[in-house]
Parts: sequence; structure tokens; C-alpha cells
Amino acid sequence: MKQIPIIMPQLGESIAEATVITFLIKAGEEVAADQDIIEVETNKATMNVSSPGRGIVRQFTAKLNESYPVGAVLGYVEVSVEEARRLGLDEPAPEDARTPAHGGGGVTTGDTERKRKVVPTVRGLPVPAHAAGASYMSPRMKARMNELGLHAADLAGLAGSGAAGRVTIQDFERFLANLEKHKLTNASTMRVAVADAMRRSWTRPLATVALPCLFEAMLAHRNVSKPKAGPALYALRALAVALAENSVVAGRLIGNKIVHPPSIDLGFAVEAEEGVLVPVLRNADVRPLAELVGRYNELVELARQRRLPNEATGGSIATVTNFGTFGLTWATPIPLPEQTLVLGLGAGKKVPHWDEKKEQFIPVTEANLTLSFDHRVLDGGAAGRLLSRVAALLQEPEKL
Amino acid sequence: MSITYLEAIREAQARALADDPRVFIYGQDVGAFGGAFKATKNLAVEFPGRVLDAPISEDAMVGAAIGAAIEGFRPIVEMQFADFSTPGLNQIINHAASLYWRTNVPCPITVRLPSGGTSGSGPFHSQSMEAIYAHYPGLIVMTPATVEDAYSMLLEAVAIDDPVIFCEHKYLYYHLKAPCLPTEAMPVGKARIARAGRDLTIVAYSAMLHEALAAAEEMAGEGTEIEVVDLRSIKPLDTDTVVASVARTGRLLCVGEAWPWGGVAAEVIARVATEGFDLLDAPPQRLNAKDTPIPYHPDLWSVHRPTARSIVAAARNLLRM
Repeated sequence: MKQIPIIMPQLGESIAEATVITFLIKAGEEVAADQDIIEVETNKATMNVSSPGRGIVRQFTAKLNESYPVGAVLGYVEVSVEEARRLGLDEPAPEDARTPAHGGGGVTTGDTERKRKVVPTVRGLPVPAHAAGASYMSPRMKARMNELGLHAADLAGLAGSGAAGRVTIQDFERFLANLEKHKLTNASTMRVAVADAMRRSWTRPLATVALPCLFEAMLAHRNVSKPKAGPALYALRALAVALAENSVVAGRLIGNKIVHPPSIDLGFAVEAEEGVLVPVLRNADVRPLAELVGRYNELVELARQRRLPNEATGGSIATVTNFGTFGLTWATPIPLPEQTLVLGLGAGKKVPHWDEKKEQFIPVTEANLTLSFDHRVLDGGAAGRLLSRVAALLQEPEKL
Repeated sequence: MSITYLEAIREAQARALADDPRVFIYGQDVGAFGGAFKATKNLAVEFPGRVLDAPISEDAMVGAAIGAAIEGFRPIVEMQFADFSTPGLNQIINHAASLYWRTNVPCPITVRLPSGGTSGSGPFHSQSMEAIYAHYPGLIVMTPATVEDAYSMLLEAVAIDDPVIFCEHKYLYYHLKAPCLPTEAMPVGKARIARAGRDLTIVAYSAMLHEALAAAEEMAGEGTEIEVVDLRSIKPLDTDTVVASVARTGRLLCVGEAWPWGGVAAEVIARVATEGFDLLDAPPQRLNAKDTPIPYHPDLWSVHRPTARSIVAAARNLLRM
């Protein structure tokens, strides 16, 4: 038989303690798992503490009308060994080690045993559920994170042992010390820059819609064109024309103002070593496809060599990315932090397509067009309409 | 050989009288009677004409002392209880404190305030007035917590050309003993790390220092190391030492026997929040007397002011945050 402590649970985000007002069962009684056994009162409401497992409540150590903090032991339930195993509580109790007092000085990572261990709520889950305070960072934590160039995203997987599950400075220093045990290499400046851009972009609510697009017309046009444009450039030019017709969807929302795009400057993603660069074609709505090819190819080459000139970077209002070159049919790219839209092009595949006139399936090349967007600026309908317009424009590539 | 806090104050006064002919002591019953608490016992005999009885008028006592100071003397005014200094408040804050600013004439008076409560001392014999006086520019406010500081800081108070409010704690008079008097001392305006620690900083002064140290000892048994800072003087307040301590621990608990509103604890926390915000791992806390007049009944008095017990509870709470 094992004695499982009955712990005062976290009753609410700002609640630090509660008063025991009723014992719902007597000591010596059998209880079921999760059966309410103690009624407690906080300054906001009356709530129940439930039994951690099935067994017999041998004793309550809490007293009536006394106040106990969150995490305090209120009593013990005697459970069978199997029940203890079911609850994931069959590990031996942590050593009651008392570390010798350190001299005055900074926080050391050696006092891990003395600090409360973080206990997962569910066995196998690395962090406690309902960690209400997990995202709270004290001023000291923030200062330390700033010092090290870290962000909340870097601590996403870190469970906190502080009040309401917050990550304390001790958890943090322990985490860092642990990292030292792994192989560490320097991330390139490019990697860190992209990471920062993506993290900032993700603070917005992003959504994606997709539309299958027939590529037959575009491929036919390409065959007879000189110079040849790639699918990405066709898509870029189609997007430029569509945005020229209605550019509000590429605007930004700052507070309650829509910031309209000044000109249809479109970027396109180029994979460079360790990251992605986005060169820009200015006023892509004004010049026809044939005139853009040369400049496009030039920019791709410069991007690959990391030699893009200043005037070819920045200031684009939307980006086109051809993830189809990696064989991908579907993706949810993340728009650049300063942009609302990113148009994606999946890999073309031969698929059967129902031809109404011939009343049979015919093979066509189809690819997914995806539009990932900042949902604060536009909704699915507007996104769908933009994609449909781009797909329609791609059916008449000679007009691009 | 051991010397009490009160004896140290007496020794300091004897030394001041001996070293500087401009010094004299003025207070109710300080002469033949030796003072209500015997802080001037025998000094009238040792230094005839230099330890003078005053009428029961604190206003007149301080006023006369200021006049004497203007004429070149260095008076020590003994208030019988800190609480009784209020009839002399106008003289202290409107005359002594600003005299140098207004006239370029320094006002080197020292006003000794027997402060703080003992069981049964009641509302008019227990007050801690340091925050009231610290509020006024021009005053220096000292709150020695140890026998050594009672001695050296009183000597420094007499030597300083500014008006000094010397808050000596009645509870420590007979209870606190030291083996001998110090030969050197930290300057006024520097706080002392009374106990080095790591997990939490308690800032205290006067009698509360000893309650804080007792609390720290109790928590050391659980593996928590508390750093205790003795402010020594309230004004000037050694913000640097306090901020450096918070830099080490990240958590601050200020303890004071006086009431919470506008007290020393509030001032310390305001300074740490302003200058050391990024050092704080949890909201700074304060622990003061309950916001009621000081009770007479011993049972009420014992729960009115912070004790080692309540300091431990507050510290535990702060560590949980």
C-alpha cells in the first residue's frame, strides 16, 4: 500500500491559498479516484479538492477553517500498488537531500535537489497541464533572456517549477546548464535572422487556403516562349495583375488603419545557403512577363551568391514561393513579418481531370496554389477570390 | 565584560561631552535623575553644567537647542519618548531642518528619540517616527540596531553639522549586549549586510533587524539562505547596498516596525523598483505593523508588529511567488 498525498490544487490563476470549509468524507472511508473529498473556499469561489486515486483516506492533516497554500499537503490516501502504478506514482520519492548552505553569491545550478521538481500532470507528458503562469516572465527573467538574446519561443518546451507553473530563473539556469551537455554548433547569422523573422511573423493569426490550378495553358505557352519564364514567374506576374485590380488585400492592418500598398512590388523566395532570400521585382504589374524574365534570372543568381543589391531587397508587398521545386504538393508558408500574403506554388502532377465535353477523364497537369495570409487583414472569401483570379489569369498566360 | 545598548549610548554621550566643550545634553530629568531610562546616569555629576533639565515642553527644548546651535553649541536633546517629539515637530522640521538652506548657518543639533514598543507600552510610548522625519529635507535620521552602532553612530551624529534625529530602540536598551565598544565603524549612510544569503533579501533596521535575523536562522534549517540588510541610517538611505543585494537574490522583503503608509519599507521598495526593476524575480513585499494605533494589551501588541514568526511566513510566501 502506498500513501499518496492529497495536494491543494491550483484553483485559479491568481489564487495562492484556500480555506478548508468542509470535509466531505470521514477519515477511514473508501474513496473513488477523482471523488470530491474536501470543500475549500477562496476569495472568489467555493471549490472541491478531489482524491488523487482510489483507496482509503487514512487521515486529513489539514484542519477545518484553516487556510493552506496551493501545493500544500491536506491529507493522505492509501492506495494499492497497482493503483499507484496506474497513477504514475510508483517511482521512489525524491531524496530528501539538504544541500549545505552555499556562501553568499549568485544563483548556482547545483541546488537543483533543493528546489521543487516539476511534476507532469499526466505520465508521459513532459509539462504540467494548466500551467497558468507558464508564460509569465519576471523582470529578472526578461533581463536575463535579453542578455542571452533569447525569446519566449526558445523556452516553449520548458516546464516551470514556480507559482502557477511559471519558469523561474532557477529552472532557466538549469535548462541552460543542461544544454551544455548536448552537442552545440553556432547557427549562422542567416539562420538566426530567418528565425527572428518567422517568430515575429507568427505573432499574427495566419491562415491558408488552397486551390488546384491547371497548368496546361502555362506549360504550352512556356514551350513556345523565348526567353523562358519559370512557373514561379508566371505566378508572380498573375499575382501582380490580380493585386493591381484590388491591392487592399495586400495591405497591412496597424491598429484600426489599413495601410495601402504604394506599388505592386513583389518578392520571390530563393533558397540560399542556410536560409531564404527574397529579391524584389518592382512594379511587376506594369511590365509584361517577357520583360521580367531577364531581371528575374539575374536576381536569382545574385541571391544564390548572396550578392543582392540594396534596391532589389525589401519593400515588397507580397511574396511568391515555389515549394513545388522540392516536390512538395502542399505547404503553409509563413508570410514575411511586414507582409500580409504569400502565394505558394506546389509541384505539378499529372492527374485525371473530368472533361465535360468529352465526358471522360483526361490527363492534365495540376498544381496547388496556396495563399497564406494574415487573417486580421482578410478572410477566407477574399483569399479565395484572389486565388481564383490568379488561377484564372494563369489560364491565359499570353496576356500576362 | 559586556555592555548594553543603553550603556553604549551613555558612553557615547560621555565621550562627546569629554571631547568637545561645545556639547551639552538637554532633556526632561536628564540631570540629577539621570534620564527616564538612565541614559545620562551620573553624567551631570561628571560634567557639571553640561547636562541640563528641561521643562515639559518639547517645543521649547528644541527651540532652545536650535538657538544654542546658532550660537555655536552642539546640543544633544533627549526626548523622553519618540512619541512626545511631536510638540517639537514644528521646531525640528521648520526651523532646524531648513536653517542652513535659509540662512547659511548650520544647525548641529542631535535629537535622541527613544523609539519602538515594548509589551504594555501602549500607543504613546511605542511609536517609530523615523519615516516622518526622513520625509523632510535637511534632517539626518539614524536607526542603529546594534550596540556598536548605537555608540559610533551617536558620536558621528554629534560631530555632523546637520540636525540629526537619532532613533534608539527602547526594547534593545537592556536586552541587547555586546562584548565591548567598537574602535572603528562604518560611516553613516552605509548599510551593513548583517547576514549573507542567496534566496531572498530582507531589509530591516533597528529592533526589526533582530527579528529578521531570527527568521533567517529558522529558515536556514530548511535550506533557505536569507540575506539580511541592516539599513543603519534611514536618511541617507544606502540604496546601492540594497540593490546589490537584490541583484544577488532577486526577491525583496522590507520589514519595519512602523506603519505601512509612506514608511521606510515603502521608500526602499520604491527605490528598488525604480533602479533595480530588472533584478526582481517576484513582486517586492513589505511587512509592517498593522495599520491601527499601537495597542496597550500585551496579547494585542504581540500580533501588532512584525515578529520572527510573521517574517518567516512573509518570506515563505515570497519564495513561492
